[in-house]
Amino acid sequence: MTVVGRAWNRLSLPGKLFFTLAPLLLVTTIAVIAILVIFGQLIVDFLAANLPIVRFVVAVTAVLLMSVPTAFLIIYMEMKVIALMNLRLGPDRVGPYGSLLSVVHGLKVLMKEDFTPTGVDSIVFTLAPVVVYLASVMSLLVIPFAPGLFGQDLNVGLLYFFAVGGLSVVGLLMAGWSSFNKYSLLGGLRSAAQIISYEIPLTLSVVGVLILAGTMSLNQIVLDQRGSFLDWFAFKQPLGLLIFFIAATAEANRTPFDLTEADSEIVAGFATEYSGMRFGFFFFAEYVNVFIMSALIVSLFFGGWTAPFDWPWPVHIELNPGGLGIGLLILLAVAPVVGTLVLAAPFWVARSSMPAWQALIIGFVLLNLLIGLGLFALAFLGWEWVVGLFWFLGKTYGFVFTFVWMRGTLPRVRIDQLMGFAWKWLLPASLLNLFVTAGAVVVLGR
Amino acid sequence: MSQLVPGLGLARGMLLTLRRFFEPKATIRYPEEPPEGSPKFRGRLQLLYDEYGTLKCETCFQCAQACPIECIDMGGIDTKNRYHIHWGPPETYGERRDESALRRSGRPVPDPAYEHFGPIDLAPVEAALAEYDYDPKNLLPILEATQQAYGYLPVAAIKHISNMSGAWYAMIYGTASYYGHLRFEKKGDREQAAAVAASRPPESSYRSALQAALMGGAPVEDTTQPPAANKARGSSKVRGSSKVRGSSKVRGSSKGRGRPPRAN
Repeated sequence: MTVVGRAWNRLSLPGKLFFTLAPLLLVTTIAVIAILVIFGQLIVDFLAANLPIVRFVVAVTAVLLMSVPTAFLIIYMEMKVIALMNLRLGPDRVGPYGSLLSVVHGLKVLMKEDFTPTGVDSIVFTLAPVVVYLASVMSLLVIPFAPGLFGQDLNVGLLYFFAVGGLSVVGLLMAGWSSFNKYSLLGGLRSAAQIISYEIPLTLSVVGVLILAGTMSLNQIVLDQRGSFLDWFAFKQPLGLLIFFIAATAEANRTPFDLTEADSEIVAGFATEYSGMRFGFFFFAEYVNVFIMSALIVSLFFGGWTAPFDWPWPVHIELNPGGLGIGLLILLAVAPVVGTLVLAAPFWVARSSMPAWQALIIGFVLLNLLIGLGLFALAFLGWEWVVGLFWFLGKTYGFVFTFVWMRGTLPRVRIDQLMGFAWKWLLPASLLNLFVTAGAVVVLGR
Repeated sequence: MSQLVPGLGLARGMLLTLRRFFEPKATIRYPEEPPEGSPKFRGRLQLLYDEYGTLKCETCFQCAQACPIECIDMGGIDTKNRYHIHWGPPETYGERRDESALRRSGRPVPDPAYEHFGPIDLAPVEAALAEYDYDPKNLLPILEATQQAYGYLPVAAIKHISNMSGAWYAMIYGTASYYGHLRFEKKGDREQAAAVAASRPPESSYRSALQAALMGGAPVEDTTQPPAANKARGSSKVRGSSKVRGSSKVRGSSKGRGRPPRAN
């Protein structure tokens, strides 16, 4: 055995990993740098020439990556909020206040056996969860999260939203049909019937907003509601909001309309034969749907990312660090030390039992906190999209909370009540809303 | 009201859950937070009866298993009405009636010096019974004759009367304890009392010692000394114990020094 071989055998597992990965990383880095140096201009020109495509790919990736933590957050919220409403404590073991439990659920689903029963149409069976999940994620693309922060500002954004969102029905039918199980098929048909029935009042109730805004671009609709909260379409379209909220609840399969997978009554409806991550996709899609529906309600009726009152932003803060010259360098060198000492001093003076090193640690942590808060405040004040994102997410999670709250309170309706409500009440009400709005616009002007 | 305004019932339900959301929670995180019982709880043992007057105890021995100081000892009736179920291996039945076990479990410890249950010569009882025709109606004369013979009523004598006359032991005991002149123990021994009083220092010595301790000044020497035997016993006890302690110490240290620890 050679010297190298003997040395290799003496290494522990982390050591072996390090000495394998470090050279690989080095080579890759050098290669990337070399490629960038040689072809850099070419790549940048190519990407700039195809900017819409690049933007689309980046947006899709970002939305796809965003959807999983969103689903985790909403699953955790559902567990915790319903538990608190039942006078229980809910998840409190994994992570702070049990907040990582949904991640554990995700890992569990990922590790389970991905079972394909005999006799299923395996291609359709595999594609169904993908279709359902992608339909949810793709409709996130047109939602304006903040000024300038959206996937695509389509001028038919709302139409695109309903078209792509309606694809999930296809996914459900695929799942029910391909499962080779009559109960799955029945569940799939039932959920398809429910979602198609509620699609009609959902779409019709939005038309009033479209007439008022004069555009289908979600971004433009949000911009139309800028100003105080009195400009929100919720006050111009209260009936539309009510119909949209009810229909969105049914569309997202939430209580009291969660007949598709009424977890306390039936097995799982269309998802009966699914296990492992394929089931997980259905599960995640449901919670992403909750987020999407909340986001759409907020964008259409509650002003999206606009603040409910006149917000003094963006504040233009004139900072020119370069103007200090050599002083900037000195400031960078001196400021952390001085800041740490200044912040540590009160603790060291006030508490005689505290050794100096502890006071210094506290001072350092405090300094970091202050700098972080200061930078955050600067971003909050100076960048429009940070404030906008805060308002948007705040309103959206308010509605997510409402959905969870409803699940903690309301009982489930019967299937005939569900259908009767959609066709006998919601559809006439949405038509009434549409005609009244149209008449008002004709008479009074927009 | 909720019939008149549509959706009012929904709103009231939603408000109820929202109120619950902020209320204190019922969950107790058991291993971290032990539940708070009543402060007066002492865990009294009691066998419960159901509404038909039958014992609820099913002789599952879970209480005996869980008891931390092993104070629960039980036997029970099995499904064939045989009284033979016991908790624990049979060879420990006697062990669990040992003095230490009884003491740990807080039960009265039998005094080996207490001889009431010992066998006695039953001839006087037999004579008394024969005189009164073994008839429990003549219980009082029989008991008086027995007391005359023994000086008191031994347990064995009462048991014999119960066996011979057919009266229950409890009845005889009740009769005997009712009358003041019948007794279950020997009369006090005047000689023994006198001996105890003589071995004690006189009262004046205590008083003078107290005086000295409270007021200062030399204690008044007392002429009567405590018995020499007591003193000797006390000193020998001290010497013996110190000797044992010293020797064991020496032995232990020499052992430790003689055998240095060896690394394996």
